[in-house]
Amino acid sequence: MYQSSTLLRMLKWLAVIAAMCFALFPIFWMVSTSFKPIQEWSTYPPVWIPRQPTLENYLALLNPAALAGSHSIDYKVAETAWRPLLNSLIISTSATFFSVCFGTLAAYGVSRYKSGGESYPMFVLTVRMFPPIAVAVPMLVMYSFLHLTGTYVGLVLAYTAFTLPLSIWMIRSFIDEIPREIEEAAVVYGLSSIRAFWRVTFPLIRGALVATALFIYILNWSEFLFALSLTNGALTTVTVQVSNYFSASSGQLYGPQAALGTLSTIPVIFFGYLIQRHLVRGLTFGAIKR
Amino acid sequence: MKATVAANSTRNVEAQAEGIRPTLVQHIPFAVWLIVPAEIVLLSVVVFPTLMSLWLSLTSWTPTSGVNWWQAEFQWLANYVQLLFGDERFRAALLRTLLIVVVGVAAEISIGLSLALLFFDDFPWKKIAISAIILPMMIVPVDAANAFFMLFRDVGPVNQLVRILVGHPVRFAWLSDSNLAIVPILLVEIWQWTPLMFLMLLTGLMALPQNQLRAAVALGASRWQLFRRIILPLIAPVVVLSLVIRSVEIFKIFDPVYILTRGGPGTSTETLSMWMYDNGFVYFRIAYVAAAGFLVLLVVLAYVLLILRPLSRRTAAER
Amino acid sequence: MRKESKRSTVVPEHTVSRGDMLDRRTFIKRTTKGAAAVAASTAVGGMPWVTSAMAAVSQDTPDARAIAGAKALLGRRQVRQLTILEPSGSLGDIVPVAKEWTRLTGVEIKYIEVPLLEIAQRVLQEAVARTGAWDLALPASFALPDIAESGVVVDLTDLAQKYRPDDGVAGCQMLYPIANYYKGRLYGFGTDGDTYMMFYRKDLLEDAQEQTRFQQEHGYKLAIPETWEELDAQVKYFHRPDKNLYGGALFRSRGFIAWEWNIRFHGKGRWLFDDNMKPQINSEAGVKAAEEMLAITKYLDPGARSNGLFENFEAYGSGRSYCNIGWGGSQKYFWDPKKSKVYGKLAWGMAPGGKVNGKKFYAPYFNWGWNYVVNRYSRAPELAYLFAQFAYSPKMSTQAVRFRGGYFDPFRTCHYTDPVIREIYGDGFLAVHRQSMTHNFPDLYLKGHGEYWDVLDANLQSADVGKKTPKQALDETAAAWEKITNRVGREKQIAQWRFVKAHYPPELAKILA
Repeated sequence: MYQSSTLLRMLKWLAVIAAMCFALFPIFWMVSTSFKPIQEWSTYPPVWIPRQPTLENYLALLNPAALAGSHSIDYKVAETAWRPLLNSLIISTSATFFSVCFGTLAAYGVSRYKSGGESYPMFVLTVRMFPPIAVAVPMLVMYSFLHLTGTYVGLVLAYTAFTLPLSIWMIRSFIDEIPREIEEAAVVYGLSSIRAFWRVTFPLIRGALVATALFIYILNWSEFLFALSLTNGALTTVTVQVSNYFSASSGQLYGPQAALGTLSTIPVIFFGYLIQRHLVRGLTFGAIKR
Repeated sequence: MKATVAANSTRNVEAQAEGIRPTLVQHIPFAVWLIVPAEIVLLSVVVFPTLMSLWLSLTSWTPTSGVNWWQAEFQWLANYVQLLFGDERFRAALLRTLLIVVVGVAAEISIGLSLALLFFDDFPWKKIAISAIILPMMIVPVDAANAFFMLFRDVGPVNQLVRILVGHPVRFAWLSDSNLAIVPILLVEIWQWTPLMFLMLLTGLMALPQNQLRAAVALGASRWQLFRRIILPLIAPVVVLSLVIRSVEIFKIFDPVYILTRGGPGTSTETLSMWMYDNGFVYFRIAYVAAAGFLVLLVVLAYVLLILRPLSRRTAAER
Repeated sequence: MRKESKRSTVVPEHTVSRGDMLDRRTFIKRTTKGAAAVAASTAVGGMPWVTSAMAAVSQDTPDARAIAGAKALLGRRQVRQLTILEPSGSLGDIVPVAKEWTRLTGVEIKYIEVPLLEIAQRVLQEAVARTGAWDLALPASFALPDIAESGVVVDLTDLAQKYRPDDGVAGCQMLYPIANYYKGRLYGFGTDGDTYMMFYRKDLLEDAQEQTRFQQEHGYKLAIPETWEELDAQVKYFHRPDKNLYGGALFRSRGFIAWEWNIRFHGKGRWLFDDNMKPQINSEAGVKAAEEMLAITKYLDPGARSNGLFENFEAYGSGRSYCNIGWGGSQKYFWDPKKSKVYGKLAWGMAPGGKVNGKKFYAPYFNWGWNYVVNRYSRAPELAYLFAQFAYSPKMSTQAVRFRGGYFDPFRTCHYTDPVIREIYGDGFLAVHRQSMTHNFPDLYLKGHGEYWDVLDANLQSADVGKKTPKQALDETAAAWEKITNRVGREKQIAQWRFVKAHYPPELAKILA
């Protein structure tokens, strides 16, 4: 649009690179730590790139038996990291799916029909405002009464419920941006309301939906409190498993924790990659804006 | 709306024509059906715990009292009074958290918006840059906090870099100075969630009508005018949404505090969640924490209403 | 040399005949005198008692008795599995025992792992959830009073009378049984010797030049400190940041700082509470202890205020501090040449004390520790108890402590002569560890320990960074402690406090006021 001078363009690129560096530096540190042997985790002066890169942190996660007897991380965990990774995958994906689906329906209703009344959105947001720690024990009481502790259904239900307010708010705000005249026009042409929404509005908010889905997926994946309280050890998620790499004979085991952190970004990055094209393609035709 | 009503009455008419009375399904307006699935999930999970929390907040129950929670000693609003007037640590945590929310959200939105504007135009490696910038969101909070802990230790890389930049050995006590310790905590929060603001604002920017913008440019608007008069008002709803959503989340900040300082030094970085963790899971004062939960709910609600009202009024006016 | 010989006799060894807390029957008689009011019912989860089978048992070791008891129970019951709620990292210490148990009884053991710092609240959640998902748990010893008060764990006193865990342990007594009890009733079996002791750089201590210079500057010989005054002098003396040597790697971080203060306070010769549970922590002794502690912060490792356990290991293991404080787990790290640079360069000492009435004394301290407890809502509480007794027995506990990667440290006398354990820890360390374990004073085993301790910890750290004066910090803590005591119930607390006081090492109890 504007013809930028070369200087301005260079500054812009510099800013973007600076942002990328700032974003990537701690991640680099985490990944680097995941390949460091125990002597290099926390030294002075700090070790940036491992001098003796090793895979033993990953082994500690995925095949601890291979490390038995070794002097560095002879650390027994109740289970390897495979199961928690799988559990987190199942739970996060399901909860995100339900949250976005139900959320979209509700958002459509709130936006177009003011379903639930004027104060419904605020009521729904209060669910998100209440500090989870304060409600952990009551949740546990309810869950143990219903025998939902340690079940996939239980956690998926909790995660869906607690992320619905976000789905509804985010998607509603994006639906609000699309003037309803388009849908009404479609209805005049014979489509039912819901068809109109699906055919006309939905494609236009795809970018927003996808950003919402990513956000909710990340929230579900990184949730710790309910994963700790509402499971009885029968069901471990990645966040709880990461906290298990903490022993009284060494404090935090930074290496395995970093390794699990690195591994657990893979599903999330993959999810993000799948939806990338929808993200960037959030461009609209412009003309529909008021 | 008219279309729906028309559609509904057509259905009713059809039903009557068939001689069948309209069923329940057809009595419930379509509008309500839309929120039914969400409502079922929400209510089934939220109703009982909220009621039980409310009950608990009016008692003095702890699991170590040896009685069942429904037999706990009732003490009216004693917890609330204690929290508001007798618990200095709680009040301090509340104010501190409010400060973190305001500073954090302001930083996240300004940085996110600036970045999004930078990405407005195309450039060759845009996709890679976006992927890199949103990566921090995807790191498990414990690992992000661990990374920052290792970075900000007295003998960590950040001090190393500072020493290189400044020249002589300056060592900031990032994690143990009662005035500085809030900085790494804020940084973790900003580092991890500015990408979300960036993403949302970018999505908002991408949805802007290109024609309007091009027209404005053609008419001679400067960059600043374009931004201030056209872009900003148009993305205001997204900005407000981001403000609300992120604020509500930052009130619950926990992992950075727990791992970086544990609320210290002393209690100088104790946020609400850290306070609740200590009072709930270390002191086991479950009922007290339930009461605190309701107080926090009121505060957050007031905060959200406060920022929503003037902002949405301005958005409406500018339309 | 004069100092050395004096030291070895200033605190006499506990022998079996002296330590009446080590004699089960006398102990029970003494402590249950006032405990009638709190006696729990003898029916354990409603399970019928198999008396005829018990009469047939004639084994003479606790583990054999446990196995026999289990087999007798299993004859009538179908339970083939026990679940243990264990803190992260402890599995290595449990699995060898569990495997042997399964071999002998056929009962499988399953595990529920929980992050180490969350296990107490998980156990308490069971008081609410009552799922029976675990039969045994391993909470930290200082959480036992709260856990016992919640009613979620079984009172094991009667089961212990039946199966006699302390009979047939000649030559392998438990050195620290106090944490197993609450108000005189048995609630758990301790499995870890977490006595808090000092590490010193032997190469620096015994260096001739250092010795001469120190003697010149201070007028007495450079040797393992007996009092905090001596230790502080050494920390200051060895603080040479320009030569990359710091005075000490002691802790000033949250969660750790209160422990050192506690030892210093005891070193001033005071009890934490008087006999009516009035805190004495803000007395002149307490304030002095805090002031002296905070005065040496500047001579410590730069990360002292934020170091966690791992950072502390690395800081001391790299050789850049003169002294350190820690447990057996610390020793395991430092005595591993692959991990640390101070292997072979260490000397050890008990936690220093002070001087009262002109006499010096050590004040060794036991903090942390882990206890096996039995879930009231378990489907097989008696079987679970038997596993706990099995794991606690001399033979099996030695197996547990032998695991290098775990964190159960020696706690029975025969652990110190086991060859594998000696190889892991080193004889020099074990000698001092055993001394420390025999004479250490217990942690503050009260209901609400978490709250008492956290308030003290937070206030002390506030004082360390200058936000409060030590006097303010301790005054506020004392006021908070009074509030807690009143909230919990003063009479209740007094009963337990008197119980704990009665089980302080006798020679220390005589000195404290």
